[in-house]
Amino acid sequence: MSFTNSQIFNDALPKLEDVKLKPISKRYLKIIILNKLAMCAAFLGVLIVGKLFIEREAFQDNFWFIFSIVMVFCLINFVIAILAFKKRKYAIRDHDVIYASGLIVNSITTVPISRIQHIEESRSWLARQFNLAALNLYTAGESGSDLSIKGLPHEEAKQINDYISVRINGNQ
Amino acid sequence: MEISDFSQPARQSAKGIIIIFGFNTFKFFKKFFVLFLALGLSLMKKKTFASLSPTIIILIVAGILIVLLLFAILKYLNFRFHISKDDFHLSTGIFNKDNTIIPKSKIQNVYVKQNFLQQLINVVSLNIETAGDNKSEIEISALDKSTALLLKKELFNKNEANADSDSTLVNEQKTVFFKVSPKRLLLEGVSQNHLKSFAIIASFVFGLYYEFKDYIKDLKIRERIEGVIQLDEATLFGIFLTNLFIVVLAILFSLVFSVIKTFITNFNLQVVENQKTIEINKGLFNKISLSLTPSRIQNIVIKTNRLKQYFGLHTMSVKQAMVNAKQKKNFVIIALEKNQVNHLIDKLLENYTSHLEAYKPAYYYKRILGLDMLITAVIANGIAHLIFGSNVWWINLILVPLAILYVYYGFKKAYYKIDDEFVTIGGGVIDTTTNILEIHKIQAVKLKQTIFQKRRQITSVIISTASKSVKIPYIKESEAKSIYDFLLYKVESQDKDWM
Repeated sequence: MSFTNSQIFNDALPKLEDVKLKPISKRYLKIIILNKLAMCAAFLGVLIVGKLFIEREAFQDNFWFIFSIVMVFCLINFVIAILAFKKRKYAIRDHDVIYASGLIVNSITTVPISRIQHIEESRSWLARQFNLAALNLYTAGESGSDLSIKGLPHEEAKQINDYISVRINGNQ
Repeated sequence: MEISDFSQPARQSAKGIIIIFGFNTFKFFKKFFVLFLALGLSLMKKKTFASLSPTIIILIVAGILIVLLLFAILKYLNFRFHISKDDFHLSTGIFNKDNTIIPKSKIQNVYVKQNFLQQLINVVSLNIETAGDNKSEIEISALDKSTALLLKKELFNKNEANADSDSTLVNEQKTVFFKVSPKRLLLEGVSQNHLKSFAIIASFVFGLYYEFKDYIKDLKIRERIEGVIQLDEATLFGIFLTNLFIVVLAILFSLVFSVIKTFITNFNLQVVENQKTIEINKGLFNKISLSLTPSRIQNIVIKTNRLKQYFGLHTMSVKQAMVNAKQKKNFVIIALEKNQVNHLIDKLLENYTSHLEAYKPAYYYKRILGLDMLITAVIANGIAHLIFGSNVWWINLILVPLAILYVYYGFKKAYYKIDDEFVTIGGGVIDTTTNILEIHKIQAVKLKQTIFQKRRQITSVIISTASKSVKIPYIKESEAKSIYDFLLYKVESQDKDWM
């Protein structure tokens, strides 16, 4: 059972690099933008309400300072979220599901289909307006090994859901 | 009192009343602990509490106890269980009747426990665990030991009878493989991480202090302590001495606490080897007996540190799938010799070998460790400045060498080994940890890379099993990708179940 280097670097193994990862639906970018805008609005709203009601001088004097910090934070968050959108990609292979995401911390997760316990298609109200759906794949593992692919076109999500459901049940 | 036929609905041993009563009383008093303490304190001071005389208070307490006892009796009378052909039946409840049926095939684990009270009246409790969330656990809290063992066998035997019928015969052969001696327990206690013990003590003391702020203020402890300290305040040496005294006291307390804790939880630790499974028995006040089945094991972690290595002490924790958090902590065997660890690994993991080439993380890992230390040092300096003023630059004389050692050992101890069936990952800074997992038990594999690592082509691989995620930190991207492909290929090409 000795292990050699060549085994790992065997060219015959299916390679991650050969997989064509598919970007999620462009319409999901709108959802991200809406979500981020709502978040920024909420933060700034709280601040403005604070300005009207809190009469402490320390707060009033520094209001514009705090406001601009929050503003910059929102802006950076916004830009990163939009740039990171391009990194959200997925692929369904014969035996596994791959999902990649993240701009600053990029991660690629693969869950073998034989390890999926159940699969779920969920659609929020906003996602329904854009005809999108999210797929949640649950494994037996800690929460770290569960996979959630957001922003799939509804039709495709359904297809994948059906395909994987059949595969899971077929294996039993 | 012994029950041998489980086909008829039976109650637990009549002693169960005492157990239920004792347990409920304990829970009740624990809940109102603070109230009772307050009551006691004010009784001491004023002889009354909320204008009630001591006799009335005693009557109230007695009344509560009687109600609790009544509940215990009713609970006992309404607790019945029996085994039908394939299922375990349990009916409970005084007002809300619950009827639970568990198919034998779904039972994951059956273990025997004995807490202090149960030890006194010589009964044991039997826990039946099923896959799923924490609430699906059943506890029969008072059975004779022989009945419990019989029931356990009954639940398990038919469970596995279809799989292989002769396993029951072979299972009888038991050998006590390892028994801990008090000396080794003591050594284990002494060489533990005392910072942890200190943190527990400190949080406990602070918690108490917070609860009883007002009472403590009354006692004027502060003024007294200040009075004592003022005597020494004249000289710098005095301050130094008081500080040293406090530090020594804290260390001593932590040490004693660690030793006592180790003794209580691991008293009479015993590892029994069956043909297929391994059984762990331990505990002073809470005697527990657990069995490990190799097929359910997800990760094995072996821990030791410099000091422990010197004494030949190794700690092995086994992570099983589908056990609740409370049980997780109990699957720990301490004070093992190196060869005993190897023996257990051989037993639990077939074909495992550690004689493989070890690969190291990239040098980038050193930078990450260094960065960690830099941030810690900056924060430590900041805090020191805020508390003691600007003349404490000298703490860097201690911090810098410590940081260098941290980076050095952190990098030195990190490695990983992969063969056809197992992944072994080593790590730790003060501790030396070895993580072993079987490849076919992997649930998911993940590559993680930050922007900064992307330029240098460094990636971490995170491998998740059903009970834990482990990380191969900061290796070359090409290497990481090969491992990723290899692991997935292994998982997907073999049709092996993970449990």
